[in-house]
Amino acid sequence: MKVLVTGAGGFLGRSVVRAAAGAGHHVVAMHRPASLPDPASLPAGVEILPGDLRQPGRWAEHLSGIEAVIHCAAAASGNLPTQLAGTVVATENLLAALPESLKRFVHVSSLSVYDFSAPRWHGCLDEDTPLESRPLRRDAYTQTKLQQEAMVRAHCAGRPIGLVVVRPGAIYGPGKDWDFGRAMRIGRFDLIFAPLSPMRLTHVGNCADAIVAALAVAPAGETIVNLIDDEQPSHWAYHRLARRAGLPAGIGIGVPYLAVRALGLLARLASRLGFAGKARLPELLDLPRQEVRWRPLRYPNARARQALGWSPAVSLREGVAGLAAAQQAQAELPESGEPIRA
Amino acid sequence: MSAARPGDPLRAAVIGCGAIAYEHLPWLAATPQARLVALCDQSPALAQAARDHFGAGSIHVDAAAMLAEVKPDIVHVLTPPHTHDQLVRLALAAGAHVVCEKPMCGTAAETAALLDLARETGRSLIESRNLLFNDAILAIRGAIAEGRLGDVRSCDIVLHLDFLQGPFGDLNLDGPAVRVPAGAIHDFLPHLVYLFAELTGSTQIDAVHGSLENRSGNRRAGFDFLDVLVAAGAVRGRLRIATDVQPERFRLSVGGSRATVETDLYNPYLRFEGAPDVGKRAPLGQLRSGLAMARAGLTNLWDKVGQHGTMHGMPRMLDAVYSALRGGTALPITPDQILTTARMVDRIVALGDRA
Repeated sequence: MKVLVTGAGGFLGRSVVRAAAGAGHHVVAMHRPASLPDPASLPAGVEILPGDLRQPGRWAEHLSGIEAVIHCAAAASGNLPTQLAGTVVATENLLAALPESLKRFVHVSSLSVYDFSAPRWHGCLDEDTPLESRPLRRDAYTQTKLQQEAMVRAHCAGRPIGLVVVRPGAIYGPGKDWDFGRAMRIGRFDLIFAPLSPMRLTHVGNCADAIVAALAVAPAGETIVNLIDDEQPSHWAYHRLARRAGLPAGIGIGVPYLAVRALGLLARLASRLGFAGKARLPELLDLPRQEVRWRPLRYPNARARQALGWSPAVSLREGVAGLAAAQQAQAELPESGEPIRA
Repeated sequence: MSAARPGDPLRAAVIGCGAIAYEHLPWLAATPQARLVALCDQSPALAQAARDHFGAGSIHVDAAAMLAEVKPDIVHVLTPPHTHDQLVRLALAAGAHVVCEKPMCGTAAETAALLDLARETGRSLIESRNLLFNDAILAIRGAIAEGRLGDVRSCDIVLHLDFLQGPFGDLNLDGPAVRVPAGAIHDFLPHLVYLFAELTGSTQIDAVHGSLENRSGNRRAGFDFLDVLVAAGAVRGRLRIATDVQPERFRLSVGGSRATVETDLYNPYLRFEGAPDVGKRAPLGQLRSGLAMARAGLTNLWDKVGQHGTMHGMPRMLDAVYSALRGGTALPITPDQILTTARMVDRIVALGDRA
């Protein structure tokens, strides 16, 4: 299948390109022009398409014959206008350029689109959990990912395109470690908020495998799956694993979830009394965002396993070992980027 | 234009729903002076995002069609500078007042033509100059008006901002970032020039020495460095914009025959130096300045938490503009001031012809 991968130079996109090529697909990997990869570094069957989705451009002339798209491109950071450009406008331009030949759309959404306050205490957050109905109380990432997903679903609904929306949890792997579960570092100590709450991790390789498996789902209608690995360590357990693997995690100090919420309530009170409710609070102190990151919930992956025929190949222990190996390799690189020769 | 009765809110439309719209829209969505009736952008998704965020306004992608359908009393033109001329003309022709982001045009001649058109149509055309309404600038203007500085003789304004890290320097994107003669510098220069003009009372530049350059080699930015000495009557000043100096600052110093005052618009403080704390009493002045700096540090922390940032003059400016339009009183930003700024900018941008 001829597959367009957007955001191919990103953390997830790079793994998706390799997994799709490994599965025998003809991959058209869209990279931003200022950071094109060395073609020799890519697997066989991968064609590089330079282009930036934030602007309509000549890239749109190279999409003929595309049968499937895996849409990884999004802005994961920056202020709201930056994320609107990188996520919403980028998706709008992509949708406008897609060819009639398109049969399959795999959209990489996020678990952040859900309303994390909806499940009961220690309940399940799954595909039936309602989406966030008050996006403005959440951050720019959630607001733009919600709008992006709605645009993709509306586009595919009126066309003979099979849509699979994947909503990954916290994707980790070499280059992204989620601070080993800590909320904050103070000297040698790591504050670990809600130490017993599960972290909903998914290894980047497992996530890429699931996304490529989505290309094989029966091409009709819409399928939505959450992607979380089988092993769901608590923040404390993930931190301990990382520390034992030699990663630069400090001495953990747990802060119970209820204490975190109490801090959030105090911050909200201070905001109302001192700033008419308009204080800019960090995630650590903002009640709605506290719920998203630290509320004790369970994250079943049965639907992904069933619908995609997927099972995570990389275990948590292997994933953390991979983080440590990457850290070691990075430490051995001199400033020039050349490996040290013995 | 619909017949707005005195006291009614003005029916406002926004053209352009990008980053700067998020500085106008909070005020438009909240003020009793306006009713937000339309959001227009070539990108329906951006218009929809603004609608979702501010909860008002119909969504449009074609400005002319929006103006014909909605008939707003006032239009905010918040698109890239090279599109302003056409959109301002459309809005004035539709009978609307216009608030246009700076730079309104690439040259003074184009600015003059739009102001002429506004006069002919009997509508008001205002170019945004929000920094004039910031706390520190209001305080300095107050001090000048009270005569605390004496006769103003100098005004130095330094903007150190690495705008190349944003869309202005993003080489993934095609084309020049800002399609006006001085490129990215042109997007910031009006701020420096209107501050210089207002704080010194200057109405023209007699001489300019210095350089307007592209130092980074970034092709998208156009010009990214400006450093000029300006002579305007008895006043001398330095205007500087650089991307390669840290930390980022927007420092401004106004010197007069009696005293000098200094501030920074990114981390505001006010430092007065002058009589009676001069000569042997100078250390007292320094102590006073130190205390004022410490107070400013605490205030700035408080303001950052409370989101009282560099753009806090924007709602005040819009409030003053709408009050004047609704009350039929003098506008806080006049056509003469707009044209003066544009002509001064022209003089400085002409340095680029020699680059």
